[in-house]
Amino acid sequence: MDPSSLIGPPSPLGYPAPYWFMAGLKVLGFVLHMIPMNLWFAGILVALLLRRWGGEHARRLSDRLMSQMPILIALGINFGIVPLLFTQVAYHRVFYPATILMGWFWFSIVGLLVVAYYGVYLYAVGLRAGRLRPLHVAAGWTAAVLFVVMGFVFSHAFTLMVNVEAWPEIWQRTAVAGAPAGTALNTGDPQVLPRWLMVFGLALTTTAAYAVADAGLFAVRETGAYRRWTGRFGLALYTVGMVWFAAAGSWYAFGTWIPEVRALMFGPFAVLTALTALSPGLVWLLIVAQRRGATPSMALLAAAAQIAVLALNGASRQVVQNAELRRFLDVTAGRVEVQWSPLVLFVVLFVAGLAVVGWMVVHALRAAQKPAPARG
Amino acid sequence: MHYPWWYVPFLTAPMLIAVVAVVHVLVAHYAVGGGLFLALETQYAYRTRHTAYLEYLRGHAWFFILVTVVFGAITGVGIWWTIGLASPLATEVLIQTFVFGWAMEYVFFVLEIVSAFVFYYFWGRLPQQTHLTVGWIYAGSAWMSLVLITGITAFMLNPGAWPQHRTFWVGFLNPQFVPQVLARTGGSFLLASLYVYLHASLKVKDPALRNLIASRSARPALLGAVLVVLGGIGWYLFLPESARAALAAAAALNVMMVLIFAVTIAVFVMLYLGPYRNPGWLTPGFAILLFVAGLAAFSTGEFIREAVRKPYIIYNVVMGNQLLVDEVPAAQRRGFLETGTWTRALVAARYPQAMRGREIDEAVLLRLPEEDQRFLGQVIFQYQCNNCHAAQVGYSAVGHLTRGWSPELVRRVLDHLDESTFFMPPWTGTPEEADLLARYLTSIAFPRPGGMEPARR
Repeated sequence: MDPSSLIGPPSPLGYPAPYWFMAGLKVLGFVLHMIPMNLWFAGILVALLLRRWGGEHARRLSDRLMSQMPILIALGINFGIVPLLFTQVAYHRVFYPATILMGWFWFSIVGLLVVAYYGVYLYAVGLRAGRLRPLHVAAGWTAAVLFVVMGFVFSHAFTLMVNVEAWPEIWQRTAVAGAPAGTALNTGDPQVLPRWLMVFGLALTTTAAYAVADAGLFAVRETGAYRRWTGRFGLALYTVGMVWFAAAGSWYAFGTWIPEVRALMFGPFAVLTALTALSPGLVWLLIVAQRRGATPSMALLAAAAQIAVLALNGASRQVVQNAELRRFLDVTAGRVEVQWSPLVLFVVLFVAGLAVVGWMVVHALRAAQKPAPARG
Repeated sequence: MHYPWWYVPFLTAPMLIAVVAVVHVLVAHYAVGGGLFLALETQYAYRTRHTAYLEYLRGHAWFFILVTVVFGAITGVGIWWTIGLASPLATEVLIQTFVFGWAMEYVFFVLEIVSAFVFYYFWGRLPQQTHLTVGWIYAGSAWMSLVLITGITAFMLNPGAWPQHRTFWVGFLNPQFVPQVLARTGGSFLLASLYVYLHASLKVKDPALRNLIASRSARPALLGAVLVVLGGIGWYLFLPESARAALAAAAALNVMMVLIFAVTIAVFVMLYLGPYRNPGWLTPGFAILLFVAGLAAFSTGEFIREAVRKPYIIYNVVMGNQLLVDEVPAAQRRGFLETGTWTRALVAARYPQAMRGREIDEAVLLRLPEEDQRFLGQVIFQYQCNNCHAAQVGYSAVGHLTRGWSPELVRRVLDHLDESTFFMPPWTGTPEEADLLARYLTSIAFPRPGGMEPARR
């Protein structure tokens, strides 16, 4: 069966904005989503390991991370809306079939996320009460495992979206009279595992950079010993994450990329590929400089550099995604019917929204200097 | 059919949307009304320096975050997840049409999240005026997200002039927009008060404080009930004719309409006699009863709202069987199997002898062995009927609906599908495909129950 015969017609409505605009927002949204997503993907696991086997400072870092986690998860879920929205606009012809083929797994994300998020809250409530009972700890571990599982499902979905060649076999294996039962995963795809592992390695580096940034910028009430310990621990964790990322990334790039993608990423986009691969080294150096204790300016610089690392990853991922799909579909060639007034209104609201968020954050940071009032 | 059809046994895939959507709506309205409650009541408590009430509000804000920011946010994304799986074509149309509406909603979501956390976590540390401003930012953002999503869901029920003028604003400012915004705003006031009563009745031990909470939240609840009624009247007036006819014709909807009126009146009376006139009545039992009745009315309303759209997912734009209305004539002329991306691929892979280039020769399909013809009939059933019907067991199972039907009757009904029942879609295929489907339907139809008098001739 010709796999491309399974790709439906484009929307008769056309794209509501030029492709570059949507791809730009998709990448921007994805980068914003990746920051908190990396923290719950690897950070919860790291925090729980530190709590279980670490010393005094390790437990303090664990508590700081886990008490911030409910907010990070809320932001991460919301930041995920934009990339998924523009994926559906520009890639609907491949996104829907891929997720339908693995329907139950994709659908399970909703339930898994509810359980995982409440697990994190339960843990945070235990922390707030000053006593972590076995139930709280079990809830934390459940959340950690579920977030890793969800990452695995996401890796399946987004590799299946571009691996149209795998569709006929999965479809014929699981269909009931031509209708997919949604019980398949993209297990035959050699990209799934390295990609999932690569993202986990990246998530470890983000967790390390976050720990250092938190120590340098926000842990004003913590001791100098804690800040020094966090600098050393951040360096160790970043090193592990970077090595992990390099190993899994090499497996992914050299072992699974199709010739078209390799030609593109090692040809016209070689600079982007090199920057994506090497950029974690810069953050590592910035963390090395803080191994005796995080400082505000260096911590800020490390955080900004890590965001750049994620942005480079997001951009590379976008180029690879389009290159992998080009065998079947050129998403950049869709008809465009620009919706000017809603587009302009969105941009205006976005800028105004950022200003309001900025105002609230400034007030919150000022208020954070005061001690929390006791509950009556 | 542009996309594969997700086969969900017994329930059918679209019923998953109903399950997730109803659960979400019960929390989402509280997310809007509860925000207004917190802003307004915190302002009142600051003004009157009522420290006990402030402390209660702080506790309520925590409960509010746990319910709305976690469960509400995830089930909201969950609806989106589910519609993409169970109704991909309609989702595609909605997203292509309203992508910037959703993007704007995202801005308000972020504002909601940040303001909710700042409001709660910095309680007592922010200056009072700043704290209140943050509360009002939440309330305004939450209401704006209600307005934005209502424009899109109302479009599904009555897109107005959009099929002729396909622009964002024509679709967004559809005839159902104002009535539904009114009803949902009222619903959020009402539901928020019921959540507050439930929470306060379980948490507050001081009778004076409980009475204060009961009476303070009674007026918004009663106002909400009035807005729901006004919005409901507008909703009914601006329903497409077919939806109004469905309300009158479908027995299940008749029962639900009676139920929703009865329960709404009961809630109104309980609110008036209870918290409004006798705040002391607010016991946990009374609050639970009120809460359950409110949820029942809401759930029924949402179910009716979904059901009256039949045979469309988006009225006059996307059919229930995942075809654009514009595509129906071609499917009738050239065949359902041929015009569907996945059905054509299936026939090409399994019965290449029936293919003439990209076209399917249906006459060849009718010469296939009986078993293959039934299989192809089942394929048509999956893609054209399974949106609303399970096969033999489950939601609105066809095997039961066609109990005792003769093959001739099945075939005749297929020819006159939308004439025999106006909220069914027209038969969308060739006569040969109707033969194939009839063979399958006859094979799954249960026999007429025995012992029924007078016996059939």
